[in-house]
Amino acid sequence: MSATAAVSATTPLASRLLAELTAIVGAGNVLHQRDELLVYECDGYVVNKKVPDVVVFPTCTEHVVELVKLCNRHDVPYVPRGAGTSLSGGTLAVGGGVMICLTRMKRILEINTRDRYAIVEPGVVNVWLTRALAGTGFHYAPDPSSQTACTIGGNTATNSGGPHTLKYGVTVNHVKGVELVLPDASVVTIGGITDDPPGYDLTGLVVGSEGTFGVVTKVIVDLTRDPEAGRTLLAVFDTVEAATETVSGIIAAGIVPAALEMLDNLMIQAVEQAFGFGFPTAAGAILIIEVDGIDAGLDREAQLISEIVQSRGGRVQKSITWRTRKEPEYVAIWKSRKSAFGAVGRLSPTFCTQDGVVPRTLLPHIMRFIEGVARRYDIRIANVFHAGDGNIHPILLFDERDGEQVQRVLHASREILEECIRVGGSVTGEHGIGVEKMALMPRLFAPEDLAAMIAIRNALNPEGRCSPSKLLPSGGHCIERKSPGRRASA
Amino acid sequence: MNETAQPSWPDPPAAGSLGDGRLALARLRPETVVDLCQAVGEHVRDGLAIYPQGGTTALDYGGIPGRPGVAIDTRSLCRVIDYPHADMTITVQAGITAASLHAVLAEQNQRLLIDIPQADRATLGGVFATNTSGSRRFGLGRPRDQIIGVNFVTSEGIEVKGGGRVVKNVAGYDLPKLLTGSMGTLGIITQMTLKVRPMPEASAVVWVPFTSLASLGGTLDALNTSGSRPVALDLLSAPAARIIGESLNVPAGDWVLVIGLEDNATSVNWQINRLMIELGRADLTILQDEHAAAGWAGLTEFSAAELGPVSCVVSIRPSGVIPFVASIDPGRWAVQAHAGNGIVRLHALGDWTLDHAAAEIDRFRSLAEREGEGGSVILARCPTGWKVRLGVWGRPQADWALAERVKQALDPIGAFNPGRFIGSI
Ligand SMILES: Cc1cc2nc3c(=O)[nH]c(=O)nc-3n(C[C@H](O)[C@H](O)[C@H](O)COP(=O)(O)OP(=O)(O)OC[C@H]3O[C@@H](n4cnc5c(N)ncnc54)[C@H](O)[C@@H]3O)c2cc1C
Repeated sequence: MSATAAVSATTPLASRLLAELTAIVGAGNVLHQRDELLVYECDGYVVNKKVPDVVVFPTCTEHVVELVKLCNRHDVPYVPRGAGTSLSGGTLAVGGGVMICLTRMKRILEINTRDRYAIVEPGVVNVWLTRALAGTGFHYAPDPSSQTACTIGGNTATNSGGPHTLKYGVTVNHVKGVELVLPDASVVTIGGITDDPPGYDLTGLVVGSEGTFGVVTKVIVDLTRDPEAGRTLLAVFDTVEAATETVSGIIAAGIVPAALEMLDNLMIQAVEQAFGFGFPTAAGAILIIEVDGIDAGLDREAQLISEIVQSRGGRVQKSITWRTRKEPEYVAIWKSRKSAFGAVGRLSPTFCTQDGVVPRTLLPHIMRFIEGVARRYDIRIANVFHAGDGNIHPILLFDERDGEQVQRVLHASREILEECIRVGGSVTGEHGIGVEKMALMPRLFAPEDLAAMIAIRNALNPEGRCSPSKLLPSGGHCIERKSPGRRASA
Repeated sequence: MNETAQPSWPDPPAAGSLGDGRLALARLRPETVVDLCQAVGEHVRDGLAIYPQGGTTALDYGGIPGRPGVAIDTRSLCRVIDYPHADMTITVQAGITAASLHAVLAEQNQRLLIDIPQADRATLGGVFATNTSGSRRFGLGRPRDQIIGVNFVTSEGIEVKGGGRVVKNVAGYDLPKLLTGSMGTLGIITQMTLKVRPMPEASAVVWVPFTSLASLGGTLDALNTSGSRPVALDLLSAPAARIIGESLNVPAGDWVLVIGLEDNATSVNWQINRLMIELGRADLTILQDEHAAAGWAGLTEFSAAELGPVSCVVSIRPSGVIPFVASIDPGRWAVQAHAGNGIVRLHALGDWTLDHAAAEIDRFRSLAEREGEGGSVILARCPTGWKVRLGVWGRPQADWALAERVKQALDPIGAFNPGRFIGSI
């Protein structure tokens, strides 16, 4: 499409829907000019792009209901979107249509620390809830690295993890219920405040369904007690091998840290340039190891961890003793870790992250494998990841202008994920299948497994208008993958 | 389904019980998953219902079996498929008993974080199908938090899997969670992968008697933000405390609050001292080590107690536990409340008439299901003849129509456990 023809134009579909959309949400909550829509052509996964015909911002559940009815009447696909930080193309408007952006449904509706729950609208940014809870002695446990941007609706749809989900569990372990606008435009409350409602665990089914069952308009989450205290250790190693052996050693010793994160040399350099926390730039790898709980019991655990670190040839460079997660050194080390993604830009203009998982004892193996892949394909790979969970995030650095290099990156990515599958792992620990990894689903699941999942999707989303062509490899619009993403994360 | 010959219920002795006095036309105990698939496929084609059975500890749990069928016993599928203990996961077949699993895990000083009564009989498949849990769910989580992979056999006789064997995995829909608590109505669970954890170094059961409920509300409110981090907060009425405490050498009380602690030894000792200060009492009975284990066992087994004709499980807000319990006649009901979770287990005491039981269950339901509360009352057991009137599951939840669609997707002919679950399922 030529640049001039498109600027400020509205697509025929948008023109057709505009009056009705505006009547539902108001003119201030509709985007339809091509230049305004460009932002929404992709999310954190930038390989595939598709500009939606129109983007709408409902501000209440009733809006969503009316929007879904409208899409049904006009037989138009729609896709929910939160902050658009998905790293698997979950929000891609495959086939165009209406993008329902939930970021203006952003109220925290209730916080109840006595009964340990909060009810939020889907557009509430993850960290807002944490902030709203400051001083109560409670927090919302899932803490994706993107938590300052991503929404709890998006976290729910993708079943997000984060550094502290090692001990505390991922999003699905903390969602008690949702309000969902179904593809037939009915509103249903699934789960709720109280435990064990009689019926199927549809909450468990909806969390992680990547928007394929409807639009989440409320989320009931549980609240977790703050730990009394913690110890956060920075352990330094000459080699990645020694660091990964340490990870396995800690888990095998029966210690369940609150977080256990690894950065390799390339990542250390990038993060150090960006934040200057004081990471040793010559180190082969570092581990951030955190234990939390009752203060009285923590020194022993920290000591045990130090011994394991030393026995693998590492040394503990820093040990932060904290009472709250607000202490400056604590904030600094985690800022460095959680912003690692932003620092990758210093290494390479373009990069792509994979999200494989291996049994945690196989970390040494998969890291050796990744080193081998990097050598064989002659590409640089940086690593920053949730080591304690065996959830790797190799970041493949490349120059997107070099088509041949791009192909090498694609092959290398595929080889790493295939190896994760071969050793009994998964192709995604937290970023989701989205459009990116649909082709790998048949490698993880047998046709009858996929058929069962498709049957469930068809039961809840029979017309397939809600978030078409995501998650499950079946029919619909096919997406050709030509180049890897430019982004990375962990 | 075979349209012409509608199978009818067999005469005794038939092939053993399906629960609630209904008898099985046949009983199969497949040695392999392939055999199990074949058995399901064949009997479904013959128009028979399929009743999965494990250790039969929950045979009478749920509605009355709805149509004639065969029992499929999973207990020969009891292998440990893979136990990479250093990964803290285990993959087992569903027919393994909880006790066998505990023994395997104990060799590596690990455990499954679920309190399971009648562990020598209960199979893991049954535990997950019925969503069994106990006192320590407060601190350790529910069955859904422990399961990461599942295989199950559908009514077409095909084994389907969801999830995987690694602790973090978001590929595909979370079928492990869907099958957990599904009461065997979506398929026969044949295999699961579970998260396991190291045994805690120390464990303590703190036994605190109270003479009345009056001060307990405030105590529980305060414990919600205690300096300690209990893994269990059970409230027991006098008869419950007497039965559980029988072998523990603990003082009686009109009410007893049981506070459970697990962590390393330094932490547990610190927490015990902390609790003494917070509760302002020096007369706590503290069970540690093997005494703590006996305490946990007592609490766990009591959840499956059969004292009178009726037992029910009330789920409400944690803050509502004391007001709710205060509305109950403790002479008629033995109470074990997992107060931190808002789960109140009630066991009827003495003789009851159906009318009286119905009035009580109705009253509980009207309290629990109040607008904005969304609670529930499940009838865990009662005489078969009372089930229809009392209603096992209560009013269907708001999402039940959606649940029926999921059932339709996975078991369109209603082959599995007909009559057992909610509504028409
Ligand atoms: C720098 C960076 C770091 C990251 N770190 C992590 C990490 O540590 N752990 C992790 O798990 N992920 C991480 N991610 C990935 C991403 O942040 C998460 O997947 C996040 O949950 C997405 O939230 P969002 O609000 O941006 O959702 P979006 O990207 O807008 O949408 C994600 C998916 O959810 C669906 N969706 C969104 N809202 C709704 C709704 N209300 N109802 C139904 N469906 C909905 C969308 O259709 C889409 O499929 C990271 C991403 C970046 C860019």
